Amino acid sequence: MRPLDDELRSALRRRDPPAGFAGRVMARLTARPAPRAGWREALRSLFRMPRLRWVAVGIAACLLLAIGVVQSQRRQRAQGEIAKEQLKQALHIASSKLNLARKRVQEIDRRSPES
Amino acid sequence: MTAATQRMEDALARVARGDRSAFEVIVREHQAMVFGMAYYFLHDGSRAEDIAQEVFLRLYQNLASIVSPAHLVHWLRKVTSRCCIDATRKDPPDRQMSLEEAPEPAEARGVADHLLSQRLQRLVASLPGNARMVIILRYQEELELAEIAEILEVPINTVKSRLQRSLATLREKLAAVLEVEGHETS
Repeated sequence: MRPLDDELRSALRRRDPPAGFAGRVMARLTARPAPRAGWREALRSLFRMPRLRWVAVGIAACLLLAIGVVQSQRRQRAQGEIAKEQLKQALHIASSKLNLARKRVQEIDRRSPES
Repeated sequence: MTAATQRMEDALARVARGDRSAFEVIVREHQAMVFGMAYYFLHDGSRAEDIAQEVFLRLYQNLASIVSPAHLVHWLRKVTSRCCIDATRKDPPDRQMSLEEAPEPAEARGVADHLLSQRLQRLVASLPGNARMVIILRYQEELELAEIAEILEVPINTVKSRLQRSLATLREKLAAVLEVEGHETS
């Protein structure tokens, strides 16, 4: 006798139903309404139709383009903000330097009549 | 992708578009799996056919939720298991197990194999419901323990222990049967 595993595999092989089984299932189905397609299948079947596939590709391309434009605008705005900050900082530094220079000049002016 | 998988994918797409005839392709492809599971579980041809028909009718109603051929097979195994276990809970068999076996082959070794297979089928049918389904999924469908656990929605350790216990029981019962027959023939 073969090992039990093999005997079970051999004893429990897939088994065809009596002839005409599929026909009997189909006969019972005709009395029932057709199933409604779910949203997932509806979406998939939309992509299966050739013309709609190109429409979908077009829509996807437009979406990508729009996303690209928005991203580039956002990047430009961010760069502008950085430049503005840098300019403010530069002006601040320049004004403090000017103040310093003015103070020195005033000091020199104050000293010069005495000398 | 295999030809069978491609065929199933096409059939699923056609049924989704309302082509009922494509459903027959699905039934024919999977009827041996579904009927086999029900038959070895119930060991009754007519009840097995009722269960198998019910499973395919349910499938038709739930086709929208099937996303791929692999998902279809998983769904069928799961629903068949559930229907079989529910059937024995609701309606325990009240008649003698029917055997609609083919005529025995003439060759001696073939006869012995055939008889042994019949005995094993009867012994499997005598196991408790959940353990029986574990054996069927393991040896008819040749599934891994993790896959069986997923189908039956039980922990993998439960599957492992049910399988070990069932195999021990089958080994013991088979040895007893063969011993009795040995005595009768000698």
